[in-house]
Amino acid sequence: MNEQLNTAQETVKPAPGSGFTGSTDDQDVLLEISNLSKNFGGLQAINDVSLNLRAGIVTTLVGPNGAGKTTLFNMITGHIQPSEGDVRWQGESVIGKAPWKTARVGIARTFQDLRLFTHMTVEENILTVMEPGSWLWQPGGKFRKNRRYEKVSRILERTGLADKRHTRALDLAYAERKFLSLARIMATDSRLWLLDEPASGLDPNSYNLFLQLLREEVREGITVCIIEHNLDIVVNISDRIAFLDQGKLLADGEPTTILNDPALAAIYFGER
Amino acid sequence: MTAYILNLLVLISVYAILSTTLNFIIGYAGIFSLAHAVFFGIGGYTAALVAMNVTPEFFVAIPIAMAAAAVTSLLLALPALRVRGEYFVAASLGLQVLAVTLFSEWKSFTGGLGGVIGIPAVELFGFPVYKPWQFLLMSLICLVIIIAITRTLVHTSFGRSLKAIRDSESAALASGKNITVIKTLSVVMSSALAAVAGALYAFYMSFINVESFMLDTSVLVMAMVIIGGTATILGPLLGAALLMLMPSALTYLTFLPQTEIGSIQQIVYGLAMVLLMIFRPGGIVSSHPGGGK
Repeated sequence: MNEQLNTAQETVKPAPGSGFTGSTDDQDVLLEISNLSKNFGGLQAINDVSLNLRAGIVTTLVGPNGAGKTTLFNMITGHIQPSEGDVRWQGESVIGKAPWKTARVGIARTFQDLRLFTHMTVEENILTVMEPGSWLWQPGGKFRKNRRYEKVSRILERTGLADKRHTRALDLAYAERKFLSLARIMATDSRLWLLDEPASGLDPNSYNLFLQLLREEVREGITVCIIEHNLDIVVNISDRIAFLDQGKLLADGEPTTILNDPALAAIYFGER
Repeated sequence: MTAYILNLLVLISVYAILSTTLNFIIGYAGIFSLAHAVFFGIGGYTAALVAMNVTPEFFVAIPIAMAAAAVTSLLLALPALRVRGEYFVAASLGLQVLAVTLFSEWKSFTGGLGGVIGIPAVELFGFPVYKPWQFLLMSLICLVIIIAITRTLVHTSFGRSLKAIRDSESAALASGKNITVIKTLSVVMSSALAAVAGALYAFYMSFINVESFMLDTSVLVMAMVIIGGTATILGPLLGAALLMLMPSALTYLTFLPQTEIGSIQQIVYGLAMVLLMIFRPGGIVSSHPGGGK
């Protein structure tokens, strides 16, 4: 275990991160989590967590299983209401909003189990997230419709899914499904992406494409928060790391600081 | 013999309208309703009332019947669709039971258990439609229009939203979809279109009573959709034809005890459903025999 950690630590210094240079502390706060708590009966899933997600960088949430990482995502996006605390998006509280309203303010997410629209084609999966209107037809007529189809084509090219355009999501290979999940979020025009284990199970080529895509998007102004167990990803893409354990935020800072902390490493690898 | 076949074809087309409209919510939105016969009934009773008291004009009676069913479905959909899918099934079952009681007891509207008799022939721009072949033509045209409406809807952004909700409600929510409004709209449209079948049925039979609008009918229409194939155009049509023809087909099997045909029919339905779920869960017309939609 310590060998794995050492390997990770050795790659911390030269790691490119998302491509962001400078101090992440100077970046504007896009999403402010204040004293957030969540109880499920007697279980304290999240315990007084305060964390800022800063604009234009990649923040990675790490921690052992059951640390509360996905629960935190669920509370930010309105899928679960917190017991206490607040989440403010660009200064405005999103607590109590329905998940579809939170999505429309610019917070998009993926799911660990992907939750693709499995019986729809790849094209339909992407197209439908660009059509949030609830009524029978979308506004903007043919012009806007053509723009949506053009955008689908661009996204499919970038995610390597162009030749799968008319394939059902159900019939895709695992890596392709992962990229469809990413393609769907790319189509939303959201400023903040919450990615739940987006690279787990990817082969080396897909993994490199994923890193390249993410760096491009961050360069274009997207703010990303990732839940990830894979230390290679944590080291290679993160500009900032937040360490959670048993619902508590134990540390939040630059990757070199967090990954070189032996106490956190012991917790992460279950050696405490 | 011709009259018998025409009668069967008219009933098949009426039930095909019902199964097509139920398929719209089952197949594309994943909403399982056990109250479709209620909207069939509301369409029938409303059209009968309009025909007997105002005018039997098709373009007056049918829109009023559709509006009545749409408003009633809104009462069901708005509270029930705020919760998860299985609660809608329970709520729709409750509405079905409640409606049967109302249909039986609300004598001024439904004629009570005796039903409504003497419904005049429907008129198209003042011309009465009473010959079976004329009626068959009219019901087939209605069926084609309803198929065209549902087919168009499922290929629009609205249809994509329905399918997204069917496949993953939480992902649809995370994509910014107001699933309560979308599901409510789909139920309202399905119910309003089902009322067309009710109105045609009332005009065709010139007599209706609660027997046609009970839970059995809702289950029968659901069986038509599932056996035929959900989320397909042909599936509900085939399901309606098969299940409407089955009682007649069974009477030709002379070795069966004729007094028990009703029970045998139920056994065949049940058996067909079980076998389909095992070997072809997507239904007979499914393009994805493994259970795809």
